[in-house]
Amino acid sequence: MTTIAPSGVPADTAPRRTRRRLHRGERSLRTTVVLLVVGFNAVLLVYPVVSALRGSFHRWNPLNGTYDPIGFENYATLFTDPVFWRTALNTVVFGTVVITLRVAVGLALACAIFARVTRWKTFFRTIFYLPTVTPLVAVAYVWKLAYHPQIGAVDTVLGLDINWLYDSTFALPAIMVMTVWKDFGYAVILFLAGLYAIPEETLEASVVDGCSPAQRFRFITLPLLAPMTVFVVVTSVIAYLQAYVQILVMTGGGPGRSTNLISFLIYEEAFVKYNFGYASAIAFVLFFCTALMTVVSFRLAGGRSLLKAAR
Amino acid sequence: MIARKAGAVLLHATLLGLGLLTVAPFVWMALSAFKTNAEINSLDQTLLPREWTIENFVNLQETFDILRLFSNSVLLSVTITSIVVYTSALAGFVLVKYEFRGRTAIFAFVLGTMMIPWAVTIIPRYTMFVAVGLQDSYLSLVIPAALSGFGIFMMRQSMGAVPDEVLEAARLDGASETYVFHRIVLPMSVNAISALSIFQFLWVWEDYLWPYLMINSPEKQVLAVGLTTFSGRYGTDYGGLFAATTLSIIPVIVVYVIFQRRFVAGAASAAVKG
Amino acid sequence: MKRSGALVASIGVTALVLVGCSPGEGSTAVEVTVAPSGLPVQGETLTYDPNRLVNDGEVISLDWWLWDGDEVFQAFADAYTELHPNVEISIVNQPWDDYWTKLPLALRDGSGPALFNIHNSHHDNLIGYLEPYDLPLDALAADYLGVDAHLVDGQVHYLDYGLMTGLVYYNADMWARAGLTEDDHPATWDELREVAQRLTVRDGDRLTQAGFSFNSLFREFSLGLPYQEGQHLFAADMVTPDLDNPTMLSVVERFLDLYEVDQVGSKDFGPVADESFGQGQTAMIYTWGHFYGSLLEDYPDIDFGTFRTPVPDTGEEPYAYDRYNGESTTGINAGASAEEIAVAQDFVRFSLTHADLMRDLCLHYSVLPMYTALADDPAIAAHPVLSALGDVDRYIWPGPLPAAFESSVDVMWEDILYNGVEPAAALATAQQTVEREIAHDGFVSRENHYAAYPAER
Repeated sequence: MTTIAPSGVPADTAPRRTRRRLHRGERSLRTTVVLLVVGFNAVLLVYPVVSALRGSFHRWNPLNGTYDPIGFENYATLFTDPVFWRTALNTVVFGTVVITLRVAVGLALACAIFARVTRWKTFFRTIFYLPTVTPLVAVAYVWKLAYHPQIGAVDTVLGLDINWLYDSTFALPAIMVMTVWKDFGYAVILFLAGLYAIPEETLEASVVDGCSPAQRFRFITLPLLAPMTVFVVVTSVIAYLQAYVQILVMTGGGPGRSTNLISFLIYEEAFVKYNFGYASAIAFVLFFCTALMTVVSFRLAGGRSLLKAAR
Repeated sequence: MIARKAGAVLLHATLLGLGLLTVAPFVWMALSAFKTNAEINSLDQTLLPREWTIENFVNLQETFDILRLFSNSVLLSVTITSIVVYTSALAGFVLVKYEFRGRTAIFAFVLGTMMIPWAVTIIPRYTMFVAVGLQDSYLSLVIPAALSGFGIFMMRQSMGAVPDEVLEAARLDGASETYVFHRIVLPMSVNAISALSIFQFLWVWEDYLWPYLMINSPEKQVLAVGLTTFSGRYGTDYGGLFAATTLSIIPVIVVYVIFQRRFVAGAASAAVKG
Repeated sequence: MKRSGALVASIGVTALVLVGCSPGEGSTAVEVTVAPSGLPVQGETLTYDPNRLVNDGEVISLDWWLWDGDEVFQAFADAYTELHPNVEISIVNQPWDDYWTKLPLALRDGSGPALFNIHNSHHDNLIGYLEPYDLPLDALAADYLGVDAHLVDGQVHYLDYGLMTGLVYYNADMWARAGLTEDDHPATWDELREVAQRLTVRDGDRLTQAGFSFNSLFREFSLGLPYQEGQHLFAADMVTPDLDNPTMLSVVERFLDLYEVDQVGSKDFGPVADESFGQGQTAMIYTWGHFYGSLLEDYPDIDFGTFRTPVPDTGEEPYAYDRYNGESTTGINAGASAEEIAVAQDFVRFSLTHADLMRDLCLHYSVLPMYTALADDPAIAAHPVLSALGDVDRYIWPGPLPAAFESSVDVMWEDILYNGVEPAAALATAQQTVEREIAHDGFVSRENHYAAYPAER
């Protein structure tokens, strides 16, 4: 079994910027990959992105053939629509809470499983990853029933009488709990992977130096896990700004608009109301925010190392 | 020493407790699948069925043809996962082991593609696929999934760890680059491949909107869409829903258990530098 | 790697085998060379003669999309393919939401089915894709009520086979247990409140049986009951929506009082009232006729009765009892091939003239038949829902109401019940939302076609 070389390969094997002979078959392999990546993305990403951008400046209903240029009207409507702002706020709350919990729970459990004294590591790893490997659509239906105020398991077990998905105080938190349950396993596995990749000697040295476990965690483990944390956070930001399946299944955005998320709003505008232009405008605002948040996450965590990492 | 032991016990107790919390919804779901609908709908609930029945599973095949949906999803997930693993590995290899102009730009571009929300591209993409007549064909599901930014990123990071000496040694023996890639680099990346396989299989397995839009024939539909159709049409048949969900979870668990030994080691390559 | 690879491969192979083994869907149609003969011609004024070959006897297959009722529609397909074994009609049943996401897109891209069921709330999105019925309009109008309302440029693309509206369903066992008899069917809303109180059961403070619930069923009554007091959904210009008015507010408050004053139900007891009714936890709900079919199918254990929507005042005939909507006949895809369209036309003619199947369809959906041949049908007269509705002339049709009305009313009610928004404010929001969303639809109300519509407004 190959392990990930912890500290990078020796410097002298790194490719140098010097003219060198091509290996046999290198050029064709290289050309294949470049053409594949560029061609694929040009057709399946760049072209759609450009047409969506154009569409966002139109009143666009492909069903009855409407495609009228209206300038910035879609964007103007969007920014003056209280529903959009409510939805944006929900999305921010949803994303922040779920990502924080996912990272915190994932990190804590990964450390607990990693700890030397812990036994049955494989068993715990499997258990905690179980929700992550189940289809979201399926578990969302199951949780919806579990939240039913009369016949659901949640109230029965907790001895409460709360109408989880219809109460504006509890609806969004209820969905967030479900989402964290569904997804924290992903963070556990990634952090665990990060912990295994920390060189044994580094940790041992700290023990010899008399570091307390807390100090060791704070000053050695945590910084070494930084790249992994960035990775988890960035992929989570991308994923949660796009979350809508749980909303579609569990609340339809209600009660009122209190659980509406941006991606669900887009889904509704596009595929229920056929306002393709308006939906595209929202999608671009979302795109902009995703890009912004990703860059900010990178910067905050010094994640530039990610790009340059593999050498 | 005693404090240490107590700590260990406490740690295990906490882990077990949280583990129990994690599996509780599954247990509830699986047990409910054996209840009659009358019992599921009743005001007082018990964890164990008062009256065990396998009716829900039996009816499922009749009303829902779950076997068909199931095999469609397995077929599709395996196909797409295999393709993605291969294309990602190939692109990852080229992007990390060959030095050429525009390499960084292409890699940055690939990373950038990961940030584009589905919502931006899905509408024009839909129009495009229908225009070329790919609707209701599995090609429409395979093609857009064939190349993955995430996969390329992950494989590139992991393949950086393959020592260049090994490659050079093979080249000196007269190996071509395709040989080097297939016979040396791929086998050495098995951990990353396992991890990517699990991630990718899962994404295809639960992908919902795209197959829902593209596939019309019920006999070609995938399981995730089938489950929503099921609850749309038999929304009141909770027993059937529990049974269908329970069954839909099994294959991913199987895949996970097969690959999980290498999974953790492979997942490291997602972010930890090689 | 090898082992994992082998596993992946074996899973793949298993999947392929499974797919290969699943029951094939080979066509059941066979070529026909001799036309049927000696069969009776069916129909009244509009007739259908089965004694001839369809599509020259050659095998042809049509897809028929629908969102519900596959069994009753299958009966039409079966009867037709029995006459013409060279035709195969494959029914594709998808849930309502899926149906309306996919159908218009499929039609637009030419991949749509030859036949598809229509709901008139999607009239605007569908009309461009509909092939006009190839039927003599005089004969059609002689046999079907309300054909005029469906004329578009002098042609009919679909019409109504039945008229659907709202009424109250009650759980007959609970009714009897509360000591109530058939004479206690409430005629007014005040009487309904009293009955609901008798039907409410508590265990301490905990509600165990709701006397009346309207959770998640907001749109039906909110958009129907204002008519009882002469309030229309549109202003006199027939294009401006009118939701924010005192009558609507009084309807909202009347229903709120059921929960807040009478406490015969709760927003938190059975979040979906029709489900709760089916689970045997709610005694009465108000919803539309289609619920009859769902009850029989999904909740066969519930013994239920029905009565007509109550009115505000005893002895006084309301302006209209309720809003109704027409249930539409099947549409023909103008983008289908000429052969498919020809067979689809033949099938539509066959369906519209088949009184027995039409009756079954109307009974299944609890709609008053528009087919005049069924006007005095005993089975219709005996149907619990249809017999409860009374005089057809006292129901009003605003036209194929844009979906924005229903979705806005749902949001309005959720805001009032669960988000603590004042009814007046919620109404104002609903008004604004509907105005904005239908601004580009060009929808014109048909309220002024109602017989009792005031001459001056």
